[in-house]
Amino acid sequence: MRKITDDDLTLLFYGEHEDPALAALVAESELLSARYDALCSELKLADAYQPPQRGDDYGSEVWQRISPQLEGGSVETKGHLRTWLSSIFQPRFSLAGAVSMLLVAVLAFTLGRNGGQEISTAPGDALDGTAVALAGIDSKRLLTHSVSGHLEQVNLVLTQFANSTEASASEADYATDMLVANRLYRQAADTLGNHKLAAFLADLEPLLIEMAHEAQSGSAATRERMQQEVRDGLLFRVRVMNKQLNKPEISV
Amino acid sequence: MSQTEQKIIRKAASGDRAAFRQLVLEHSHAMFRLAWRLTSDETAAEDIVQEAFIKAWRKIGEFRMDSSFKSWLHRITVNTAMDYLRKSLRRKQFETEEPAYETIERAGITPDTGTQIDISIQTQVAMMELSESERTALLLKHYEGHSIKEVAHIMEITTGACKQNIFRAVKKMRVALRPLVAT
Repeated sequence: MRKITDDDLTLLFYGEHEDPALAALVAESELLSARYDALCSELKLADAYQPPQRGDDYGSEVWQRISPQLEGGSVETKGHLRTWLSSIFQPRFSLAGAVSMLLVAVLAFTLGRNGGQEISTAPGDALDGTAVALAGIDSKRLLTHSVSGHLEQVNLVLTQFANSTEASASEADYATDMLVANRLYRQAADTLGNHKLAAFLADLEPLLIEMAHEAQSGSAATRERMQQEVRDGLLFRVRVMNKQLNKPEISV
Repeated sequence: MSQTEQKIIRKAASGDRAAFRQLVLEHSHAMFRLAWRLTSDETAAEDIVQEAFIKAWRKIGEFRMDSSFKSWLHRITVNTAMDYLRKSLRRKQFETEEPAYETIERAGITPDTGTQIDISIQTQVAMMELSESERTALLLKHYEGHSIKEVAHIMEITTGACKQNIFRAVKKMRVALRPLVAT
């Protein structure tokens, strides 16, 4: 019979010994039993090593602390477009998107006040500061560039929408944000005389309104119809328009 | 793993925050216990739990359903704790600090009184004197109840190496705790 070591007894204590006969062997031998009992007594003392207690709501506390940090984070999964989308879309929309929207809105307002003429920088003009700032800007190019960025985001969101099976709160939020931006860009395009672009942006609005208000709460049939509408042509039109906007020196 | 848990994990992997919240609520306590036993530091353990969950959120898409989610989370927790200990040189600081049981002695309590607090402190000191791998293996086996195979998987070592870590840790712990066993 081979020698029974303390390592064997440790494995027995943790229920991991491969020899099922060992337990019986220990029970039969007084010497082995004494060794095993000593090991059990000593290891059981380690159970006194208990961490400080956390309250029942500890899980909620952890969630509250990490939740804001998950906002911009992304789940590194293959094929999870929604997550990828939120990681790239959200920050851009909230910062750069808002800034460019503001610029275009100011631009549209300023140009509206000036009747589409060259911006006056004469002293005493009520819009001195804005006018000076805008004097060096090609307003049509700025509009084209801003709308192109907007359409890229619309393209991403619509692609996700057309391919997802379940509605989410973030989907409605994105649609709401885009709807607001879309209206501002449409007004700016109108003001700058780019009526074709304004009409195209106006065509996007009904779907964005539906996405913002009905995608989540509406029926599965409504969602399917909207997805069909996106797949049947809207997505294609968005991509074509964006391509045209990115062609140098071509006005649409 | 239950069908329900698999469903929650799949949802979380697709970016569903509510599903991930459920996982956080379910596993926070166990992760805290593990992080605390690895570091012996309450604040550090809380930080580690949070960091581990953030890592888990980012990597949950890599989780394979044929393995244990608890083990997967523990692996992230262990790695995060090890990073934390190395970065903060926590272990080094611990070694230069006065061992807790000496303070107990000065307070007039002998280390062999066998009181619960004494045993707990003695265990803590003994635990922190183990090497990182010995301590991790013992904690995962003794307190978390993982099988040796699971511990090896969490620690990314062979089962043979895992057993050796546990054997060494047990020997050292027994030497440290033997004087406290009531005769």
